[in-house]
Amino acid sequence: MSIAGELLARHRDRLAGFPGPLTEHFEAGLKALSPRFSPTQLQQWAETGVELTALNLRSWEAAAEYFKAGPEFDPATPWSAIEHLGNEAMSMAGDSTPLAISFVRSAPATLRMIGPDHVRQWADLGRRLYKGNWKSSALAAQFYDLSPDLFGVLRLSQASRLAVFVDELSRHSYELASACLTAAPQVLSDLEPDDRLPFITYAVELAQSSWADSRLYFERGTPLVHKVHQPLRERFLLLAAQVARGHNRSAFQYLEEAANSMAQLDPATHHRVVEMSEKLAVYSPYAAMDFIINTPTVLEVVRLDELDPWHEGGLQILKSSRDGGEAYFRLQSTRGEDVLENLSARVELTRVGEVLRMYCKALTGRDVHVHATAQLAEKGIGWSDEQRASTEGTTIYLPEMMERYHDKDENFAAFKVFATHQAGRLEFGSFDFDFDRPAVVLERQRPAREETSSGFVTDMERFFDLMPNRKLASDLFTITEDTRIDASVKREYGGIRKPLYRMQEEELERRPSPRQMPLRDAFVENMVRVSLGGSDFIEWPMEHSQPMALALGIMELMLRPEATVEDAAEATMRLYTLASSIPNVATQELAEGEWGNVEPMESSGQAMPMEGGEMGGEGGQPQFGDVGEGEGQEGEEGEADYSSPEPVDFRGDFKPELVQLLMKLRDGAEGGDAGEMSPADLTPEQLAELMEKSAEIDLDSLMEGDIDSSSGMFLSNLMKEAGTPASEKDHEKGEGEPTSDSSTGEGEGEEPLQPIVTVYYYDEWDFRAQDYKPRWCAVKESKLQAGEENFYENTLREHAGLVQQTRKQFELLKPEMFRKIKRLPDGEDIDLDQAIEWMVEHKAGVNPNEKLYWRRNKVERDVAVAFLIDMSASTDEEINKRDRQQDDGDYDDDPRKYLSWWVSKRRQELATPPKRIIDLEKESAVLLMTALETIGDQYGIYGFSGYGRDNVEFFVIKDFDERLDQPIKQRLDNITPIRSTRMGPALRHATHKLNLTEAKVKILVLLSDGRPQDHGYGRDRTEKEYAIHDTKQALNEAKRDGITPFALTVDRAGHDYLKTMCEDMGYEVVADIEALPSRLPTLYRRLTE
Amino acid sequence: MSETSTRQEATIWQAEEYSVTEEPYYLPIGDEIPLFEAAYEQRIPVLLKGPTGCGKTRFVEYMAHRLGKPMNGAGDNAPRPLITVACHEDLTASDLVGRYLLDAEGTRWIDGPLTRSVKVGAICYLDEVVEARKDTTVLIHPLTDYRRLLPVEKQGQVVEAADGFLLVISYNPGYQSALKDLKHSTRQRFISIEFDYPPREHEMEIIQHEAAIDAGLAGDLAKLGEKVRNLREHGLGEGVSTRLLIYAGKLMAKGISPRRACQVAVTWSLTDDHEVQRSIEEVVTSIFE
Repeated sequence: MSIAGELLARHRDRLAGFPGPLTEHFEAGLKALSPRFSPTQLQQWAETGVELTALNLRSWEAAAEYFKAGPEFDPATPWSAIEHLGNEAMSMAGDSTPLAISFVRSAPATLRMIGPDHVRQWADLGRRLYKGNWKSSALAAQFYDLSPDLFGVLRLSQASRLAVFVDELSRHSYELASACLTAAPQVLSDLEPDDRLPFITYAVELAQSSWADSRLYFERGTPLVHKVHQPLRERFLLLAAQVARGHNRSAFQYLEEAANSMAQLDPATHHRVVEMSEKLAVYSPYAAMDFIINTPTVLEVVRLDELDPWHEGGLQILKSSRDGGEAYFRLQSTRGEDVLENLSARVELTRVGEVLRMYCKALTGRDVHVHATAQLAEKGIGWSDEQRASTEGTTIYLPEMMERYHDKDENFAAFKVFATHQAGRLEFGSFDFDFDRPAVVLERQRPAREETSSGFVTDMERFFDLMPNRKLASDLFTITEDTRIDASVKREYGGIRKPLYRMQEEELERRPSPRQMPLRDAFVENMVRVSLGGSDFIEWPMEHSQPMALALGIMELMLRPEATVEDAAEATMRLYTLASSIPNVATQELAEGEWGNVEPMESSGQAMPMEGGEMGGEGGQPQFGDVGEGEGQEGEEGEADYSSPEPVDFRGDFKPELVQLLMKLRDGAEGGDAGEMSPADLTPEQLAELMEKSAEIDLDSLMEGDIDSSSGMFLSNLMKEAGTPASEKDHEKGEGEPTSDSSTGEGEGEEPLQPIVTVYYYDEWDFRAQDYKPRWCAVKESKLQAGEENFYENTLREHAGLVQQTRKQFELLKPEMFRKIKRLPDGEDIDLDQAIEWMVEHKAGVNPNEKLYWRRNKVERDVAVAFLIDMSASTDEEINKRDRQQDDGDYDDDPRKYLSWWVSKRRQELATPPKRIIDLEKESAVLLMTALETIGDQYGIYGFSGYGRDNVEFFVIKDFDERLDQPIKQRLDNITPIRSTRMGPALRHATHKLNLTEAKVKILVLLSDGRPQDHGYGRDRTEKEYAIHDTKQALNEAKRDGITPFALTVDRAGHDYLKTMCEDMGYEVVADIEALPSRLPTLYRRLTE
Repeated sequence: MSETSTRQEATIWQAEEYSVTEEPYYLPIGDEIPLFEAAYEQRIPVLLKGPTGCGKTRFVEYMAHRLGKPMNGAGDNAPRPLITVACHEDLTASDLVGRYLLDAEGTRWIDGPLTRSVKVGAICYLDEVVEARKDTTVLIHPLTDYRRLLPVEKQGQVVEAADGFLLVISYNPGYQSALKDLKHSTRQRFISIEFDYPPREHEMEIIQHEAAIDAGLAGDLAKLGEKVRNLREHGLGEGVSTRLLIYAGKLMAKGISPRRACQVAVTWSLTDDHEVQRSIEEVVTSIFE
């Protein structure tokens, strides 16, 4: 009998008690193993299996797997491995049968992956996950089940890190741990082998700081990691892991954003970026990640080689102040912005707009504005391009930014060239074209060409009507007039010549070659080249040299100092004739030698260039109409449609016809002379015709929809534009300037007008970073809606006594306005002190001071005061709560008494609702206003509330320039508790308002019920320092501007934070809240005495 | 002008002896010369209105020279004496009329500049007259109507003006506050000649002459003046004065680069506002290479 048979026989009985397959598996296993191992070993194997069955009720299943594994082992598996396996299985089965089952089941496959020597390590990995309960046992079993797959992608040592991760995760959620474990083989196999360990390392950190994100990490992590250039992934993940290590809840978000940022960068730069980030990580891992996250944004502004100084600047700040550096790299610091601004070669219009505006104003002598072109396009009045400079007669529109060159100064110079050209159009009269005014250097052809002299709206329109192909006419006029303007600019402004020449040269270099164009297009293109001073750049077939020579002669006239816009028009007509005589046919077949430069034909001012030429006419008035049927000719065979030349960048859009129309409408709107055009005079039909024929309005790009509705919209846009003089337009600016005014009520008359909201942006002080967060808060200013009619009068009646008293007090202020002024050479009486001094000096022989008199002088009381009322939700609190609590005690013994008291109290409350803090604030405001009216100080009353930094509501109850009238009295009633208290921006805005007044004494009174508090006004909801510091800073700013700030609070805890906030500034905590209405006027009196 | 600069020692004049000996350069813009001449013939007091540095004082000097008194019969005129008083806040009536001073024997009367003018028949030019104290009007009124009398109260005298005497005052409506407006009763005793900065061509000629620079630079300076004056309401008062433009020109004549000269003579002199400075600077760099 073989040893196998013997063993089988020995154990058959023991095994027979279990379901059938057990014995079969045993037999199969024996058969497979007996050739490889010694009888002792085989016997040991069999006994281990049999012992397994006896451990507990289910352990026979583990034994089944154990036997089943027998034939599956690799033939080379040494006995020691199988022996270990058996021991581990035995010990596991003692704890948890499922664990042992999974372990044994996946053992053959796993051993093939990890080799026979690591059974114990492998077993330990799974055991680590087992915590003695069924969930952990399932998890550990899962680990063994997945082991063959896992070891396909991981080495044993790496797998141990994974086990650490799963273990960590399982402390929080077994489900999540199990999900991640299941996903692991696939996720890891998607990664490059080198990336797997770093991936797991990050996972471990993540599980410790923000375990819930692990699922996201396993779902989205792989593609994120792939966004980083391969050799750097480990370092990148390590950086990200450092943030996670800081127990940051948004760790994964950092990783995600940073990876997405990396994806935006050129992989070649990844190395440098990661290296730079690592330098920052030493001081702050957050700064390091924010650096990566914001690098693409920064690179929009600066060039790659400028990233270093930006990084270095932040690193220095980071070294001295962690918060400061972190804010810097979060792009939330003014210092950071300044550094960027200085590094960047780009010039933004918002930064130089005011300078350019004054510059243009100086040049033109008109009250011009400077805005971004996008604003012009938004108006929908015919301009559609959002990038190119232009003007509509009152405002100069420029691109939002200039980044042509690598140098800031050069970019600014470019801006100046743009602006100067537009200003030049105003200064040198491009829009003053008068059809009936003779030209200076060219003889007038205009009237002769005209068929009817009616039915036009503007002179420009009348002029273009002369030429059938308006597009061609408009292009040629743009060329001649721009030539004239450029020449005038160069002549008048020597300093700008250099950058202008440079731009012209650059423009010439980038222009398309005329050789590719049909002949007439090539002619116009050559005109553009000539206009840019590039007579040497003309490329023209020599066989057609004559019209070109004539054209050049005409163009030269535009350079003369005495040339006017009418000359440009005359030149346009002549060029038009020439252009029309040229067939618009392709020229490609011409040989190289046939292209060339053309010498201009002398054109004396008076001579007609086409006089005596073949396309001339009879005598001094060449026929025009017959040649000029541009549209007709284009239809002819072999001819291409005329297409406009590429626009010239620095000259921008030129729309003289529209500008003249607008100017005409504006004159009409301003109620000008009876003879002038008024908007009503322009019928929709006229407008539609104008739109249709004008080459300046590109309807397709102007707006979508059918022509009728778009012309209607166009008309109403024009009317709106003409009806509002440009000076009333809001303009975009930085701090303290409104940026937009939105939503005036639509559908007038139907519903009450929505209040106009104007948005202002203010910086906010971050005391940790010791720096401002630039343009951090949006303050939305609007007029408070009117409330109940009688509130103001009722309050006065209610407090009649107090009103009397305050009035008297304030009237007392008046006599004090007279002060004695001494040391006058003349006055009411001799000042005795001075007289004695005079005598002494006289005796001493010194030249005595003769200023011996004094006199009373009326001191002008020149005070402006802004009251800022806290309209936060907390002001809703009733003020007599405390009283009720005291009363409560008295009735404790007798419920009936208490009940009757309560009922009566309740009734009373219904009749006169209990006073809230806000009510007292309102009443105080009323009293103060009456008092202020008696002494005539300028004052403004404002309320503020809001939620979050983007939404600081600032309500105007009474503005400085408003008079106290009924609507304002009604607005007072509407002071109601709304939301949070973000004091800083509200104070800044009130300061801004005070700065606009011209009073000598400026006072800012802040009336609040508690400390500043708002969403995001500090690290978290409970943090006070941030808000208090910002408020303090805002008060300091006011003080710096020469304003006396004063804080008044009804919060009894006020002393704590007011002391910090106000330091050396005035503040008061009104102990008895109800005294507020009487206290406020007294305080004001004291402040301004 | 070069004669002035080569003068080695200061020359000391008695106030009533001083007269403009050399003809000052003055470029007439309109008919101000015949107007002034006619007014002088008729002894009508003259009020010169206009912004600072536009040439009011120069005009008075020029007219004083031109209206010189006849010298012993025929031939050239001797210049008319010109007494100029720059008025300031503390200028009182006695500063103009005169006062008693103490000396060893007791007191001594000293004539003020107005009294001297009246006595010698000089042109008395009260520059920026609104700055002076209100009591000065008491003196001006009797002198500026048909009486032509100067009451010298402290001496108990009344001086009848010598024949050549004429009162000329100047007044800058631009920068004085509303409080310091000239009273109507005073204004209406004078004919008013309005001055403004000269038009570009004239200003160019003036700058060219005064600063001794070439026409191109002078033209550019005049252009700069015109452009900067477009920015009047930006805290620049009346804009850059001809005087400042001439200063800039003079610096250029001494070899200072045009841009730098304009910076120190125009930009920085006009305003402290950084943004306005920058804007003017940009105009300067557009005009000058």
